Amino acid sequence: MKLPALTLNQKLALVAVALGTLALFSVPHRGPVVTLDTRELALIVEKEVDHVTPSELAGWIVQGRSDYRLIDLRAESDYATYHIPTAENVTVAALPGFPFQRTEKIVLYSDGGIHAAQAWMLMQAHGYRAVYTVLGGLEGWKDDVLYPVLPAQASVADRARFERAVALSRFFGGEPRAEGAAVANTPVDLPKLTAPAPAPSGAVSPIAPRKKKKEGC
Amino acid sequence: MAPFYKYGFFGDEMSLVLAFVLGTGFGFFLERAGFGSARKLAAQFYLFDMSVFKVMFTAIVTAMLGVTYLGWLGWLDLSLVYLVPTHLVPQIVGGLVLGVGFVVGGYCPGTSVASLATGRVDGFVYAFGIGAGTLAYAEVYPWLKEFVNSNDMGQVTLPEVFNLPWGLLVFAVVMIAVAGFSAATLIERRIGDKS
Amino acid sequence: MSSDHRPAVMPGTDRPASPYWNPYVAGIGLGLVLLAAFVLVGRGLGASGAFSSTVAWLVSLVAPAHAQSNEYLQGYLGDGTTHPLKAWLVFEVLGVMAGALFSGLLAGRARIAVEKGPRVSTAVRLLCAFAGGILMAFGAHLARGCTSGQALTGGALLNVGSWAFMLMVFVGGYSVAWFMRWQWR
Repeated sequence: MKLPALTLNQKLALVAVALGTLALFSVPHRGPVVTLDTRELALIVEKEVDHVTPSELAGWIVQGRSDYRLIDLRAESDYATYHIPTAENVTVAALPGFPFQRTEKIVLYSDGGIHAAQAWMLMQAHGYRAVYTVLGGLEGWKDDVLYPVLPAQASVADRARFERAVALSRFFGGEPRAEGAAVANTPVDLPKLTAPAPAPSGAVSPIAPRKKKKEGC
Repeated sequence: MAPFYKYGFFGDEMSLVLAFVLGTGFGFFLERAGFGSARKLAAQFYLFDMSVFKVMFTAIVTAMLGVTYLGWLGWLDLSLVYLVPTHLVPQIVGGLVLGVGFVVGGYCPGTSVASLATGRVDGFVYAFGIGAGTLAYAEVYPWLKEFVNSNDMGQVTLPEVFNLPWGLLVFAVVMIAVAGFSAATLIERRIGDKS
Repeated sequence: MSSDHRPAVMPGTDRPASPYWNPYVAGIGLGLVLLAAFVLVGRGLGASGAFSSTVAWLVSLVAPAHAQSNEYLQGYLGDGTTHPLKAWLVFEVLGVMAGALFSGLLAGRARIAVEKGPRVSTAVRLLCAFAGGILMAFGAHLARGCTSGQALTGGALLNVGSWAFMLMVFVGGYSVAWFMRWQWR
């Protein structure tokens, strides 16, 4: 059976109808179901390049760096009581849907580090590559930054390190201690949350305003 | 993974270069279609040349099918493609005003640029008019601000609003477009023959 | 499909140099450019925004204090770290000029001329063009886009506001066509 000769426009129309019909089955938006490359992820975990120490983070905050977003994964009430300055509160459930830029650095922390690690995995699964966790979480922040301890048998290097820690600690309203001092087991009051003292190089607002680029027409 | 810019494949400078390149393609095809001519554009509204309708909807269908399939394949992250937020009433009013401006002036902003680039004085004057109008708009903006920002439905698509699958809407648009093209050609022949 | 390859000819006017392309083919070309924009940059095409940037910049040259205090213009001037003309749409519109000129030269359609109907004078036509431009500016800024940005871009993305806008453009155009026919026919 010979088909009648079709004009270009008729051929185009046929192609359009075919593609349109096939599109009935399309699912163009990524949903919550993702595919994971487990080998790749395992390698990243092993290399341990996804950690940020509390001291490092403290340094970034003091410098007023705005190339990352610090995310507090805990409940709202915990966040309100105390959070690391410049942190934004996004719970784990809200994390996948949160409008992050694909290219920005995301630093996660929770109380200890378990939730942060789990959230890290979720973000990696959704294709975010620049995700980091704070080593030790909020506990680590308290131990290393807010309440650094000078060991009893301190070497010169230890003392030097402690001096730097003291400066950071005071900046964040913490309290450096020497080891063996009586307070070791008494509950420590977390610093009241006031806006942190302005960093040497310009002010750091609690949530750094993102530079909005006009994308309209 | 696309959009490449949003995944950090290149920076702002390259993005501007691409803007120019894409614009070149845009202007090229506009002129190819004859949209550098106000007469051809206005003819749409007199029914004997429905090219505006044909070109516009063919372009829409092409790009729509493109994002649908690329998204389906998982190559394009549709959620990262910018959607202008919907403000229903201001956009309806804006559309009406634009339609009137189209017939009075004979162009729209994009085509006026294509027109002036090919030497049409009226396109140039039209572009000037847009500039003047923009200035006037900026001056009265404080009074218009509330209206312009009203009816904020956010970034919302037809499938979301009608609670229908994306694919179904795509199918519907394609069918309506193809039917529309046939109807348009029929109308062209009828009106064209009469005049 | 007889009218597809013949450029629109208003009775009594001269024919242009080369036939225009098949509208569907031109439309596919346009659609592919739009798709490329989505894939490469994650945004669509546009035009009216470039006019806003340019006007904002010009005003900032002539009356900087006024430009800063005007909320609409200020939005296009930004915080001063980037030049207002260093905007995506401005570069895109420059490209439109280049591309259109290229196509026009190729087809022998580039010439200094005034597009108008046979019954209207050049002066009146230019006046109408200017008036149309002013109306267009209001329409586009109210709607946050024009036919390129809203209709094409938003249309392809099934944006609600864009489709409503598009519909209204045709409604608005057809409503006044009868009253403006003296300009075109």
